[in-house]
Amino acid sequence: MALLKEEDRQYLENLFRENLKDKVKIILFSEKAAGSKLVVPGRIECPYCQQTREILEELAGLSDLLELEVHDFLTDEIIAKKYNVDKIPAILFEKNNNVLGVRYFGIPSGYEFSSLIEDIIDISRGETQLSPTTKAFLKTVDKPVHIQVFVTPTCPYCPRAVRLAHQFAMENPLITADMIEAIEFPHLAEKYEVTGVPKTIINEKVEIEGAVPENVFLEYFKSALKD
Amino acid sequence: MDFISITKPIEKIEEEQEVIILGGGPAGLTAGIYAGRNLWKTLIIEKAIVGGNAALTEKIDNYPGFPEGITGEELVKRMETQAKKFGSKILEVDVLNFHIDGIWKIIETSNGTYRAPTLIIATGTRPRKLEVPGEEEFIGKGVSYCAVCDGAFFTGKRVAVIGGGDSAVEEAIYLTKFAEEVIIIHRRDTLRAEKITQQKAFSNPKIKFLWSHIVKAIEGDKKVERLILQDLKTNEIKQLPIDGVFIYVGLIPNTEIFKGILNLDKDGFIITDEKMHTSIPGIYAAGDVRGKILRQIVTAVADGAIAGMEASKFLEDIKYNKEV
Repeated sequence: MALLKEEDRQYLENLFRENLKDKVKIILFSEKAAGSKLVVPGRIECPYCQQTREILEELAGLSDLLELEVHDFLTDEIIAKKYNVDKIPAILFEKNNNVLGVRYFGIPSGYEFSSLIEDIIDISRGETQLSPTTKAFLKTVDKPVHIQVFVTPTCPYCPRAVRLAHQFAMENPLITADMIEAIEFPHLAEKYEVTGVPKTIINEKVEIEGAVPENVFLEYFKSALKD
Repeated sequence: MDFISITKPIEKIEEEQEVIILGGGPAGLTAGIYAGRNLWKTLIIEKAIVGGNAALTEKIDNYPGFPEGITGEELVKRMETQAKKFGSKILEVDVLNFHIDGIWKIIETSNGTYRAPTLIIATGTRPRKLEVPGEEEFIGKGVSYCAVCDGAFFTGKRVAVIGGGDSAVEEAIYLTKFAEEVIIIHRRDTLRAEKITQQKAFSNPKIKFLWSHIVKAIEGDKKVERLILQDLKTNEIKQLPIDGVFIYVGLIPNTEIFKGILNLDKDGFIITDEKMHTSIPGIYAAGDVRGKILRQIVTAVADGAIAGMEASKFLEDIKYNKEV
């Protein structure tokens, strides 16, 4: 059974037709035997891998400008290492043979599905919705920055935090921004003491509780760059 | 909730509008439906989430027409679709400032300036804070104002819900999906919530009550570990070990940018007449942000409908005056 309802499918097909410009490759790291009852020793459990794959397959089918590439996290270990993928399901994006710093760990379901759609459109069009001031500053960033945004699919405020972080990553290849679905990765939620979402961590040192406006987020971002 | 949730298209929005509505909750969306059906160029500006506080409600059982109940998300999504169907545009940006220049009501946002001869304020409310030591410090570390967002982090744990109104009791019931024990702490010895909601709470074995108690402080090392409570009947101070605390102690109107411009009541709610007119012609208020006796979705949509129609009348009047 399709995960996308017919009306949503039509809406998205139309939205992509009107808004996509360049080709975008969606790269999914998953597990091949997802959904099967066969227990493979050493294989990690990934309860949402199968659904993530299904939703991306349906999505990629809605536009000729979208392509889906699926890797098995265990057998394609070298590729996973190359892309710094350490947990699954993981979604990355490639445009003009460049892998972007926009990443999803965990299923982009619930409210996060909108983040995924908006990210795809921004990536394809090659432009973000950020203000000129933010864009200008991000161009000057000359060292790696890692942003992690913890979310739950039922949190309506979370996509704002995810989208902001992802747009930051689109503006400069040195910036990597991860959405992390907190319920699927409890060890990370515990490590970063996440009991409320959205929670954003920049370069392991700056923590932001809640969704903040762009200018406020930029200030936190700047403070994470200071040594 | 739905497995996936889809919102907002991307489009260019003109600076000059005929009706600007601040707030995309039930009042704002309904105002959008009515203004749109009168064919006025209508823009709804929402700063956080379309649907407002209603979108955060797990299930709505008292909105007429849905005898089985409906999720807040589904109800507001339908209102959004309806507002868009009749031509309203929705823009999700922060509103920074507001001023008036002759006939124009001018709204500065984080994404440009928009103006219209009529403005409908449906900015709603935000949760009131307890204002006790530890509350700010532990936001995201055990203090929450959003049960649907954060409830799952308290699976198998013990949480407190502060308050005794509809939101407090409904969210306490929702939290029993995850938490092992939910303790409702209320300053009075009876609840203000609807009787049917009270019954549900009283019959839920996971919910306990601490009547006539107030929170004096929220304490812990790195995260919330205990509440310091005062028993109002005996004045005794006690400690309650707890993993999380959800606060539902009332609402603060989002009216800061209108202070000194519009007449507000002592709590900051906008004063209107029964036609939703504020103290300035062409400016209307609708929904929870308005001084009123019952803050419910059903009263918000009624306000929105009236405000949408009154804005239409105002626009017709100035158009008529221009032509003669």
